[in-house]
Amino acid sequence: MSEPLYQLVYYSRNKVSGQDDALEAQVDSILEASRRNNQAVGLTGALMFNSGCFAQVLEGPLDAIEATFERIQRDERHGDVSLLALDPIATRAFPNWAMGFVGHSTKNAKRFEQVGVRSGFDPQRLGAQKVHAILRDLTLDEEGLAERV
Amino acid sequence: MSVLSCLSTAVSSSALQEVILDGLLHPVLVLNSDAEVIYGNASAAACFGPYLIGSDLNALFPACPDAIACLHARRTTFEVISETAGRFSVFASVSSDGDSILSLIPVVSDVRSIVETDELTGLIKRNGLRGFLEQAFAPKGGEGGLVAVHFLDLDRFKVVNDTLGHTIGDQLLKKVAERLLSVCRKQDCVARLGGDEFVIVQSGVTDLADAERLAARLVDLVGRTYVLSGHAVNIGVSVGIAMAERNQAPRDLLRNGDLALYEAKRAGRGRFRVFEPGMYAALRLRRELEVDLRRALALRQFDLHYQPFLDLETNRIIGYEALIRWEHPTRGCVSPADFIPLAEETGLINKIGEWVMRTACATAMSWSEDMTVAVNVSPIQFKADGLVQTVLSALAFSGLSPHRLEIEITEGAFLEDTPNVLKTLHALRDLGVKISMDDFGTGYSSLSYLQKFPFDKIKIDQSFIQASAGGDGEAILKAIASLGLSLGMAITAEGVETAEQLARIRGENCTHVQGYYTGRPQPADRISTTIETEAAGD
Ligand SMILES: Cc1cc2nc3c(=O)[nH]c(=O)nc-3n(C[C@H](O)[C@H](O)[C@H](O)COP(=O)(O)O)c2cc1C
Repeated sequence: MSEPLYQLVYYSRNKVSGQDDALEAQVDSILEASRRNNQAVGLTGALMFNSGCFAQVLEGPLDAIEATFERIQRDERHGDVSLLALDPIATRAFPNWAMGFVGHSTKNAKRFEQVGVRSGFDPQRLGAQKVHAILRDLTLDEEGLAERV
Repeated sequence: MSVLSCLSTAVSSSALQEVILDGLLHPVLVLNSDAEVIYGNASAAACFGPYLIGSDLNALFPACPDAIACLHARRTTFEVISETAGRFSVFASVSSDGDSILSLIPVVSDVRSIVETDELTGLIKRNGLRGFLEQAFAPKGGEGGLVAVHFLDLDRFKVVNDTLGHTIGDQLLKKVAERLLSVCRKQDCVARLGGDEFVIVQSGVTDLADAERLAARLVDLVGRTYVLSGHAVNIGVSVGIAMAERNQAPRDLLRNGDLALYEAKRAGRGRFRVFEPGMYAALRLRRELEVDLRRALALRQFDLHYQPFLDLETNRIIGYEALIRWEHPTRGCVSPADFIPLAEETGLINKIGEWVMRTACATAMSWSEDMTVAVNVSPIQFKADGLVQTVLSALAFSGLSPHRLEIEITEGAFLEDTPNVLKTLHALRDLGVKISMDDFGTGYSSLSYLQKFPFDKIKIDQSFIQASAGGDGEAILKAIASLGLSLGMAITAEGVETAEQLARIRGENCTHVQGYYTGRPQPADRISTTIETEAAGD
């Protein structure tokens, strides 16, 4: 594993609108695909979501990041993807792959609690770097927008 | 012609037989026992040329040496490939006297594998596209739906190539091709015409909305960020859509799509436009105007008029804005709103702008020493390299002192490549020239531009001055004026047309005024710099 490590950070708008069930099905399928694909290519990271947006940190070899990000970019379930960072890193901030709900909606927090527990999502880690903190705040803002409409 | 006489037991006249065979949409060939063609229907002639009688199977399908063997082995189905006409499934039967009757059914989805492909992206090339279109157009007995052609042109690809190099540029093209393929279905055709131009032939389209949906998806998808060798790369795509019509030649369809693409680019890129017949007329009118515009400079059809602006404190004229006029012998007076956009699009604005700059500076030399001349500069002139040089030489040539020249720019100048624009502005400022922001309030995120460069003056767009008293327009006017005051910038109220408006802006923090009420634009020989207008002297 002497390949240089990179970290990619983005956030995007959730395009699966409205229905809670749709969000749940979407979260399940992303979780499933990510489990299946990420470990095989040495990717770890965290994916936050709520009814408004996604925010993701991907860490690993550049090739794997590029190929996976390209797949994610083509996904119609989200849009307006803003790439916030793409930088070499010395060590991983997220040594595992995790996915968790980040939001104020208590209903959704309950609903997606298990997703977080199962994948070992640790919101504490999100405070570790500035970009992660920004990401978390953005995510919360987006939820607010989505819930209001 | 024993085969045909067999058929004649079913239908009475040989003319009718011909009509039926020629009415078939797929090629039908009859071969003798030497595998030579003794009959071909109209579709066969269309696919393989009019001189096919007498050729043998090998000559028609040189890539398929086994075809004759299949025939002799009495195989009832096999495949052949023709370089010109594509791939066919062959259904063979044998007549009582040993002739072979072949029905050739085109395999449409396979066009991709037999035509020449682009080495970089694996997409088919221009000539393959032709073949595909011809096939897509062959009437397909009922089924099929409509065909839509999407013309794509990448926005900003050249910048990527120039700044990040060809290797990244090539990677980008590959990724674009992949993204295009990922939204198309198997029966669609994706071609690269070379450079950063692509064409998608979408078949089985139910209606225009169907085609628009794909185009919208293309604009979204291609415009999403790429990550290539560690670089984040952003481009966009413009799309022109043309819906195929019955009996239309592929060439016409391609032209329509191209024109719609041109309109998409003109509308600001990163969007799609659907071809409309009116686009041709509009294009022709624009081309005619362009021809005239190209001659206008040489034929001295341009003239400058000068509109005074006043200092509100002293009520004196302190300068004039140079405004271009185009007097065409047959068109009459052409409005700048009609020809400036065309001049910008064609790049003619650079030459015209240079003439304006020289003429305005020279004219200002005939005014009294304290008069300023304001000259509009288009965002396009900022993009071209020579602006500073143009200004320098206009000043040198006329002998005008730089502080008497005021350059007016609009927010549009900041839309692209802001760092370079700022560099140019600072270079102009270093010459001693004044810089003002024109049409303020009509554009984009205006306030951020004020922070980026210390303008000498802001000209508030006339819509705010002409807005009714007490409304939003007045509130905005007030806000901008006090903002200008706090930033140390002069504020000109534009488009003042009545005494009431003049009185109102006096109450705000505006420092200057310009408009019909305080002075209309006049030809150079009719302006008088000594007389103050009555209106201002209240
Ligand atoms: C917000 C978001 C994040 C995603 N993150 C990942 C990921 O980390 N890894 C992954 O393989 N797929 C991810 N996907 C799913 C991909 O877009 C794509 O559907 C999936 O990789 C396809 O995998 P498959 O071809 O193995 O089914 C994500 C999708 C979305 C909408």
